[in-house]
Amino acid sequence: MGRVIVVTSGKGGVGKTTITANVGASLAKLGKKVVVVDMDIGLRNLDVVMGLENRVVYNIMDIAEGRCKINQALVREKHLSNFFLLPASQMHTKEDVNIETVYEIISIIKESFDYVLLDSPAGIENGFKSAVAPAEEALIVVTPDVSSVRDADRVIGLLENKGIEGISLIINRYDSTLVKKRKMLDKNDIVDVLGLDLIGVVPENKAVIDSENRGEILVLTTNNVATKAFENIARRMEGEDVPFLNLVPEKRGIFSIFKRGE
Amino acid sequence: MSWFRRNDTGSIAKERLKLILVQDRALLSPSLLNEMKGKIIEVINSYLEINQNEIEIKIGRESRRTTLEAIIPVKGVKKSHR
Ligand SMILES: Nc1ncnc2c1ncn2[C@@H]1O[C@H](COP(=O)(O)OP(=O)(O)OP(=O)(O)O)[C@@H](O)[C@H]1O
Ligand SMILES: [Mg+2]
Repeated sequence: MGRVIVVTSGKGGVGKTTITANVGASLAKLGKKVVVVDMDIGLRNLDVVMGLENRVVYNIMDIAEGRCKINQALVREKHLSNFFLLPASQMHTKEDVNIETVYEIISIIKESFDYVLLDSPAGIENGFKSAVAPAEEALIVVTPDVSSVRDADRVIGLLENKGIEGISLIINRYDSTLVKKRKMLDKNDIVDVLGLDLIGVVPENKAVIDSENRGEILVLTTNNVATKAFENIARRMEGEDVPFLNLVPEKRGIFSIFKRGE
Repeated sequence: MSWFRRNDTGSIAKERLKLILVQDRALLSPSLLNEMKGKIIEVINSYLEINQNEIEIKIGRESRRTTLEAIIPVKGVKKSHR
């Protein structure tokens, strides 16, 4: 029986879809059988971020409305035989989704996977609710800014009310150079105010955007500091005690190396 | 623009965030909190002599636990209940 984990945030555009794809791929690289589910009904993105848009035939609403079987809707990733996407529908709206039906579909899927990652839409309305309903655990994504952390706090409250216990924090788009200059919220301050366990810090990294432009998953094509950060999240999810890498940039000098990110 | 304008905007963000979350985490709006205070005082007042000016009622949230804290100095039991 697999773990069902929702990736959510409150505020939009903080990196939920990017993290779902890359952490999912990292778990698959560890040999786990993984499916990522696009719960952003009406505004689907995960297929595009994974470069699978041309392979999508059916989607989760087709399953819900009886037009196909679950297996017919799953799209296999190009490089990994144990990594799958369940696409969202682009034709429906979030109000068309029946929360109980989604719950049933996910309960069936989780029986044949190690991980089911649910990519939640932004906000706290119906789309968020149906993404959260089947979840047993949550990854909260924030960027180091006041509004993102504030919205995350609200979402954490909602998840706790729902009885979700394993809630972990991912800080995305972290820029340690700015933090060093005291121009950005420090990761420890974010952890303090939210009171969650930190499971990863992903640096701001141009290669993330390049990969998205190409329709490639960063961790499957590039080996850089952001890849390392995504892989570390996967290993920590697997219970490994992975130390957080040094985030502080080294002293400025002509030949200085800046270690950004985790 | 002031010459003394603070530049450590990261620390400013942290201070603002803390204040904002205190407000957000207050489960009741100030008007509802007042209404509740009034009702609590009414109930207690019918059993105990209390000093209404020294009553402190707050809803607090530490990390992820919410508590209701009430400090109500008691002078004695109401005559009618003695
Ligand atoms: N660590 C990073 N470094 C640089 N760019 C990033 C990083 N993480 C995400 N991005 C970029 O930020 C943008 C938004 O990311 P993404 O779509 O994953 O956010 P989202 O939370 O899923 O958004 P939405 O709420 O709309 O679903 C994308 O263009 C993505 O490439
Ligand atoms: Mg998204």
